[in-house]
Amino acid sequence: MDLLQFARGPTLTWAFAIFAFGMTWRLVGILLLKRRPDYSEPRNATSWPGAIKLIISRSWPHREFIQRTAFGQTLGYIFHIGLVIVVFGFAPHILVFKGLTGLDWPNLPNAIIYASGAITLGALIVVLGRRLIHPVLRLLSNFDDYFSWFVTFAPVATGMLAVAHLGARYETLLAIHILSVALLLVWFPFGKLMHAALVFVSRGSTGALFERKGASI
Amino acid sequence: MSGLDNIGVKVVNPLPIQEDGLSGNADAILHEIVALLEAFTATGQTGAIDLHSLPLTPDDYELLRATLADGEVHAQINAIGNTEVRETLYPGVWWVTYYNVEGDIVADLLEITAIPEILKAPADDIREGLVHLRELLTQLEQP
Amino acid sequence: MNEPDTLGASLARTGISRRSFLKFCTAMASLMALPPSAAYAMADALNRAQRQSVIWLSFQECTGCVESLTRSFDPTLEQLIFEMISLDYQETLQAASGEAAESAREQAMKASYGKYLLIVDGSIPTKDGGVYSTVAGVSNHDLLVEAARGAAAIVAVGTCSSFGGIPHANPNPTGAVSVADLIRDKPIMNVPGCPPIPSVIAGVLAYFVTYGKLPELDHLGRPKVFFADTIHDRCYRRPFYEQGKFAKTFDDEGARNGWCLYELGCKGPTTYNACATIKWNGGVSFPIESGHGCLGCSEPDFWDKGSFYKPLAVPLADNTPTITAAALGGAAVGTVAAVISRTHQTHIGEEK
Repeated sequence: MDLLQFARGPTLTWAFAIFAFGMTWRLVGILLLKRRPDYSEPRNATSWPGAIKLIISRSWPHREFIQRTAFGQTLGYIFHIGLVIVVFGFAPHILVFKGLTGLDWPNLPNAIIYASGAITLGALIVVLGRRLIHPVLRLLSNFDDYFSWFVTFAPVATGMLAVAHLGARYETLLAIHILSVALLLVWFPFGKLMHAALVFVSRGSTGALFERKGASI
Repeated sequence: MSGLDNIGVKVVNPLPIQEDGLSGNADAILHEIVALLEAFTATGQTGAIDLHSLPLTPDDYELLRATLADGEVHAQINAIGNTEVRETLYPGVWWVTYYNVEGDIVADLLEITAIPEILKAPADDIREGLVHLRELLTQLEQP
Repeated sequence: MNEPDTLGASLARTGISRRSFLKFCTAMASLMALPPSAAYAMADALNRAQRQSVIWLSFQECTGCVESLTRSFDPTLEQLIFEMISLDYQETLQAASGEAAESAREQAMKASYGKYLLIVDGSIPTKDGGVYSTVAGVSNHDLLVEAARGAAAIVAVGTCSSFGGIPHANPNPTGAVSVADLIRDKPIMNVPGCPPIPSVIAGVLAYFVTYGKLPELDHLGRPKVFFADTIHDRCYRRPFYEQGKFAKTFDDEGARNGWCLYELGCKGPTTYNACATIKWNGGVSFPIESGHGCLGCSEPDFWDKGSFYKPLAVPLADNTPTITAAALGGAAVGTVAAVISRTHQTHIGEEK
């Protein structure tokens, strides 16, 4: 068995299994937690519209905070959107999803994917740089922050090297790319990358609570 | 091969082509011919360029054909398939194309020399031919 | 022997002109990307050389490799290979059979001890004492070991002798192995492919006969001159890959327009061979040009690397059962954790 067979075979099987196990464990465990009973009079009949409203409104900072946070927010959007374009728009990736779920959708031209990937890498590097230079961020940052950054950066970087056929034989580059994705999947449910699911849980529950209390969202 | 012609295959040349269809490799070959001619006129050293060694577009071939054109000599060799030997407009620059029995090109060369090696009769062949001719004449002279 | 058994002498005997021979050498030199001047060196060296003695042993194989070599596109041009070598033993092509053939082989091996080129096609079964493939009562394993002792070099033609091939595929019931798995003390060149391209076989033999040594080999023992690039690197459909234009099914609109076959399982990106440049049947076509993805037949274990129609990006195993089981397990553990937490919360609440 060579490295590529190992990456495409047992490694991905284990990575998918750990990802599925971890995600369901954490999400089920969190969503089934007991909530503190609220004995006050609800100001609105239903509270779920507030959940939706807060998720949307928190997607961009309040006017007062824009000056201080716009840079970080913009960088974040740049690499998140870049990742979406690369992960869900590149034809070979769509094939992976098709194999797992049966769903298929049209792919984007490769030139757009490559540009997106390059911009994403650039934005991620700037993000890391900012975290290292900014005194407060550096103080607050822990292993989780840096490792989560690494497991996000590595697949994009190794993927770009693979399509460029740069640095080693193609089968080696592809194997390393798949292994880096496996690492991302294994880390995902257990670190800060879980914000991908939990941001909707936390903002949603806050919004629902505000709606019930009649607070402005 | 007839059935294959009906299949819709659009071939896109992966060479970086300029607007006029040239890749720049034809120019490179023409310059190399100049260098080899200089070496030949100075020292008598023969040279050759394998046209399959560089990727060439159809327009590149046209440029080479148009520039080199035809000279005074055109020879055909019948040895397991055809071989076309043409002197170009520039004496000493020969375009030699080797075909197999089915008409496919197996080698395409530009030779810079007074006369391409393949045209010369090999010494061993001449000797053997002499032996055979002598034998034939001996037979014919016998009553 | 009255006449010297040189190549020049044998050419004269068979009526092949020296011009034809020079043409053949020019074509071979061009094919192997050697400078045109190498053609003269080749013709000169071959003309004066003693014909290279070659023993060809066929083991656990389908004979496709021999067929490929003999069904070459140019019957007269490639047959010159058989003028350059003295093929002292080859079961499919030789006229002799039975004990006469075996004694001819033993004689040739003794006469050219240390100098003959050993060509092997087919894998070597090793299970149960190697009984699964024998010739004249002797196992392939023993034949190989004995023949290798006096060989100057060994050429493993085809994927079976290079890497094990079909017999080696899961579950490998005969314990098939490659030549390199058994012989460690002789230079071995692998010329894989299922079958290899005929010009490739002819080219490497011409190289060995001319220069007396094996050409430069890669990490899998394959001659770099033919196996340095992947099919993908030289594929004429590469621009479509770059643009993201893929055929989704056979014979759909994209397929008819000659788009890239990546999604139909083409293994071109990970397969090293000369199919995209030299092509097959005299340069007529190769699998991708005919609309089918590359199988990866010149790579080790290509039968065990997943379906020929599964794209390279897709995981090898069917992971759905594993993922479902893992998700159910996670849900169970999460529920347990939540129940413990809720019980604890209720407990605290009651204490107040």
